[in-house]
Amino acid sequence: MFDFIKYKYVSISFSLILIAIGFGVTFGKYGGFATSLDFDGGLRAVVEFPKNVERKNLEEYFSSKNLEAVLVLMDKDKNDYQIDIGLGSVDQIKELYLQKKGKDSIEAKQASAIDALIGLLQEDFKLEKKKILSANQVGSVVGAELTSTGISLLSLTLFFIMIYLSFRFQFKFALGAILALIHDLVITIAFIGFFQIKPSVPIIAALLTLLGYSINDTIVVFDRIRENAGNLRDAFSQIINISINQTLARTFNTSVATLISVVAIIIGGAVELYDFAYVLTFGIILGTFSSVFIAAPLVDIYDTLSKRWKRS
Amino acid sequence: MKSVQWIFVPILVVASSLTLLYPNFAERELELAVRKEFNQLPEETRKDLLSNFAERWKTDYNPKGDWQIEPDPSVFPEQDYYLVKGRFITSAKINQLSQENQELILEPKNKLRPTLVEEYIFGGRPLAIRLGLDLQGGMRVVLKGDFDDYTSKLKDSYTKEIEELTKKKADVALSEKERKEAQDKLKEIESYFELTPGRKLAELEKAKLIIDNRLTNQNLTEPQVRIQKDQDSIEVSLPGVSNSSQILDIIRNTETVEYRLREPSDSNANSRGIYHDAIELEEMKLMNQGKREETEIVRFQNIVKQKLGKDEQDKFLEAMEKKYNIPEKYKLYVKWSRANNPKASLLPREFVVLERAISLDGKDMRNARESYDQNRLTYYVSFSLTSQGAEKFFDITSKNVGRQLAIVWGDKVISDPVIRSPIAGGNAQIDGEFGQKEATDLANVISEGALPIPLNVLEMRFIGPTLGIESIEVGLKAVLLGFALVIVFMLVIYRLSGLVADIALLVNVIVLMALLSLMGFTLTLPGFAGIILTVGMAVDANVIIYERIKEELAAGKHVSAAVAQGFENAFWTIMDSNVTTLISGILMIKLGNGPIKGFAITLCWGIITSLFTSLFLSRMIMDLLVNKFGVRKLRIGFKKLESKNV
Repeated sequence: MFDFIKYKYVSISFSLILIAIGFGVTFGKYGGFATSLDFDGGLRAVVEFPKNVERKNLEEYFSSKNLEAVLVLMDKDKNDYQIDIGLGSVDQIKELYLQKKGKDSIEAKQASAIDALIGLLQEDFKLEKKKILSANQVGSVVGAELTSTGISLLSLTLFFIMIYLSFRFQFKFALGAILALIHDLVITIAFIGFFQIKPSVPIIAALLTLLGYSINDTIVVFDRIRENAGNLRDAFSQIINISINQTLARTFNTSVATLISVVAIIIGGAVELYDFAYVLTFGIILGTFSSVFIAAPLVDIYDTLSKRWKRS
Repeated sequence: MKSVQWIFVPILVVASSLTLLYPNFAERELELAVRKEFNQLPEETRKDLLSNFAERWKTDYNPKGDWQIEPDPSVFPEQDYYLVKGRFITSAKINQLSQENQELILEPKNKLRPTLVEEYIFGGRPLAIRLGLDLQGGMRVVLKGDFDDYTSKLKDSYTKEIEELTKKKADVALSEKERKEAQDKLKEIESYFELTPGRKLAELEKAKLIIDNRLTNQNLTEPQVRIQKDQDSIEVSLPGVSNSSQILDIIRNTETVEYRLREPSDSNANSRGIYHDAIELEEMKLMNQGKREETEIVRFQNIVKQKLGKDEQDKFLEAMEKKYNIPEKYKLYVKWSRANNPKASLLPREFVVLERAISLDGKDMRNARESYDQNRLTYYVSFSLTSQGAEKFFDITSKNVGRQLAIVWGDKVISDPVIRSPIAGGNAQIDGEFGQKEATDLANVISEGALPIPLNVLEMRFIGPTLGIESIEVGLKAVLLGFALVIVFMLVIYRLSGLVADIALLVNVIVLMALLSLMGFTLTLPGFAGIILTVGMAVDANVIIYERIKEELAAGKHVSAAVAQGFENAFWTIMDSNVTTLISGILMIKLGNGPIKGFAITLCWGIITSLFTSLFLSRMIMDLLVNKFGVRKLRIGFKKLESKNV
């Protein structure tokens, strides 16, 4: 039997270090999270390119200019491409346009980002105006909706889960579960920042999946603790430890089974779902880790502290 | 649960689920309606259109040749449709066919013939699971706000006030101060008609909210609506919409609710207004000659019945306005009712001439609710007025006693009661020949508000899936591979019990999919994520149970006791973990939108189905195995655990 409680400070420190590294790299090295059109909005243009321009050429063009562009072939016959450029590249585009037009060009100075993009494309590909089929600054779909509802959603969810758990268990369990949940969320977000994964709809889905999975995992351990707590011969920390060990086989088997189905996405080669699968793989491992090493030990810490308060 | 009869419950559930899912996999027939007007096109054009259709049929629409079409697409069909037969005909495909061959195919009349299941059990309602825009493509529509129309409508509502103020301004009998006041007020009103970008944006925001609500009411799970600020337009993405023009109508519906006074009747007791009488006289003449079909009202009804669109209706009314010399001050409307039979459909029955000036509009009304009138056996809509609205309403009703005040809903006059006495108090109701649905719709329009600006279609495009068909196929294979691996994993670890878990898992997915298709749910990528999580939770539940049974066996219990005890012990654990997840799921449905909602819906139903399969189905099978078939040894895990006191 492994003594999980004994090493609780080690595991909690480990988590805190992970969080520190994740956010340190995110903000220190990259200056924040990756941007994406879905999340932050950006520029979108649909352009009819000359027949000799292929996707490869376009990709080279944008990468040589250090612009991150997502290309979608809209119409094969006409060679129409949709070009999505995230907000992160807006300054770069303006800069490039200014270089092209000359430092003193009033036209370039006053140009909006979208004008600059059109201007650049027109000059570099010798396009007529009418070949630019549409060009817009698009707003964010996901980002705006999520930031407005996300926080209230999360706090309400935590609140209701807390009520349910306080009712079914005790307050200390509710607190432990919620803290473990926040822990999982924060680390996963740090992970997303660390690897500069572009926020997108599938990533949101992965985060939500993780939330569901993580709560589930924690509750199973807690349930066992509650059951064993009737047996008061042992100290509370001892009970926690026994319970974690008793549920270990279940925790392990479940995690493996769920991991199998997620890893299959990566093995199966569904490239567009890779980010989703990575976040989920990480999240499942993390969720398992937190239910064993974080949630229950936190309950133990709270229990010890509250007893100490009562005595003093 | 010892009774064997209970086994019929899961069998029944699975059987009905499979029945529900059948239309998804069955061979289906699609009627692609052709335009009757096609034959009036020049022969050259017709040939081109047909050969283009035939060409694209082979290369784009049906490259693998999975579907059959009758007659050959290069031939114009004798019946008024092409019949396409095949499996997996998606609504995206139907859309594509219709949109790209608009001169040949009449989209609103396309019909996916119901399968037997749909025909007999659901009265023809389609049952297939719809795929989201991100999976199968769909429609993307950009709608531009028509601010000119908006201002002209706004001007309509101020006609009277402007008229009075202009008179006041020029009235020499009034004091300098009063005239100045009138002039200032006029200026203020004029400033309402100037639209700053900020005001435009505010109107667009309002429109966006209303469109969002309307689409949600249409059972579209993940429509995306966003504003394109610099174009004064709204972009709407519609996943898997099979009838884009119908949805488009719903989005663009500028249905408002307004009160307008009818033209005054002259002294003659039978008269209902000069212009109304003139129209009626004409109708009578034709009726007397036995030419009922030629009367304007019947012709108008035909326009409506043939679904020729609002533009045709407007054209018709404009022509009539000219014909009868209806002055600028008035506007021609049509009153819709059900004739004498309450079950008859709502149709235009009478032309009415109303004042162009709006007496009271939707902005003045709020809190509408539909109610049932026991005495008259019909629905009505009651609402309250804002304080300003109440004032206006009292003013109008007191000045116009004896005149008719028509309620215009959208472009339909739904009722035009005579004002008997001034109405004060700020509450009112609308009686019309409503069914429940219409009453609810009307109440929604009043409460939700009307679309503040008319919207024109700027760009309508069929868009391909963001992931591409190939990557969806790869993704689907990957998910199936994962599923298969999980099944093998469970078999290896838990042997016979693993098989039980696998059966439960399969049933879980089947029942879940059936439920989703029953609800007309639109499946998207986040929805898939929800299903993956559901599978994970279902596996988890079974693992919890088996680990518990294992413990009981290790403690030396008899197999049958161990199984019973294992399920008992696991019950609350499974309940607790599922209920907490369900809580977050329900909140996500209530508060979230778009992708979050889609995910949460699959998750919540998944939890319910997995509770059924793990707590009920698994238990029943295990009970049967242990108590009926006399299984004495359960191999759970690699250690063979036998009960000691067999």
